[in-house]
Amino acid sequence: MERKAQILSGVTFIAMVLAIYMVFIYAPIERKMGIIQKIFYFHVSTAWIPYLAFFVVFLCSILFLWKREKSWDTIAMSSAEVGLVIDTLVLITGPIWAKPIWGVWWTWEPRLTTSLIMWLLYAGYLLLRRSVEDEMRRARFAAVYGFAAFISVPISFMSIRWWRTIHPVVIKPTGIELEPPMISALIVCLVAFTIFYFCLLQQRYRLERIKDEIEDIKSELGG
Amino acid sequence: MNYIRQILIIVRKDIAAEIRTKEMLNSMLVFVILTMVIFHFAFGEVFEGVEIAAGILWAAFLFAAVLGLNRIFVHEKDEGCLDGLMLCPTDRAVIYFGKVVSSLIFIFVVQILALPIFFVFFIKMIPLSTLWLLILLIILSNVGITSVGTLLSAISINTKARDLMLPILFFPVIIPILIAAVKSTGLIMTASKFSGDILIWLRMLVIYDIIFLLVGFLTFEYVLEE
Repeated sequence: MERKAQILSGVTFIAMVLAIYMVFIYAPIERKMGIIQKIFYFHVSTAWIPYLAFFVVFLCSILFLWKREKSWDTIAMSSAEVGLVIDTLVLITGPIWAKPIWGVWWTWEPRLTTSLIMWLLYAGYLLLRRSVEDEMRRARFAAVYGFAAFISVPISFMSIRWWRTIHPVVIKPTGIELEPPMISALIVCLVAFTIFYFCLLQQRYRLERIKDEIEDIKSELGG
Repeated sequence: MNYIRQILIIVRKDIAAEIRTKEMLNSMLVFVILTMVIFHFAFGEVFEGVEIAAGILWAAFLFAAVLGLNRIFVHEKDEGCLDGLMLCPTDRAVIYFGKVVSSLIFIFVVQILALPIFFVFFIKMIPLSTLWLLILLIILSNVGITSVGTLLSAISINTKARDLMLPILFFPVIIPILIAAVKSTGLIMTASKFSGDILIWLRMLVIYDIIFLLVGFLTFEYVLEE
């Protein structure tokens, strides 16, 4: 496990350096938007990670309820934490980009709003975990919530979209025509952040396992 | 003994307990009225439109619902009745549906009592021709609210934070209901007759209700385990 973690960290590092090179040096500066457009690469490539991370929570929740193995719960928790951090990044980089381009920090557009609702859902998920002492009970409750919460995400997205389409949208995101070098930069960036997610997930999981080991040793020593 | 009968027995027990104390109904009703008064002063003279009134109605309903849902397992838990309920030779799903039905009834009673007050305060007239549609909408929303709320209430009552936990878990999951309810209430109160737009939202509510009744049915046994 130690070895695998090292390899994954190494790969993440290389991918990140490459992504930064592609974004800042290889890809040209956008004519209309200028340098601010660079944040777009990071924003778009992180934006899908919360969906992935919370889907992992959903899957691991089902697997935990089915198999009753603690490791599924640990992965679910790790993924929720990493997903929430990256979702926070998405919610910060979004407005930084939106302000100069759309003229507002925030608009209640379906994707934005869904990111925010997911943030609230999984902040709740982590708060719930903190509020239950007993280990097995915590895992069960978290799994039930992790299951129910994820199912609500697509319904939320749909309802926000309908709510919007019935009303005229005042601010429309301007369509972006991408140059080929920009597209390749975006793809590299996307891959890099996806690897980054798995790297963080593994590190978080490893940390939790170490914590458990320490607890075991402590109780063995009669602490 | 079939399922329906078992569920009805739990409902009857809950109603009998509630009639004796009236704790939940009284506090929910006062709370709904209070919320409306607070919204009135918060928005002052600014608001005249039906859209805002619909928003106020549903914000008040949701806050009151969370208040009631919080109580739905409190007595069971504190008096040790939950263990008794769990020892009953029934499915856990029966307890779930029983609790869903009783909270449906309590919340609906409060809403029906609060509705005239809402019209007097904010709309100044009652749209009699579409009132049935509003009632239908309220019932459909309530099914979603209670199916999610009962499941999450059973979870939050067993945590350290207790009452604090339910709104945090409940509100983000219930957002589709809020959107659909506010939208269609606005449409119902402005349109004099049935329109296709309302149907879209009602359909969404039905889908939501079915999905979350199923989620509750599937997962409730994992909540009440031990």
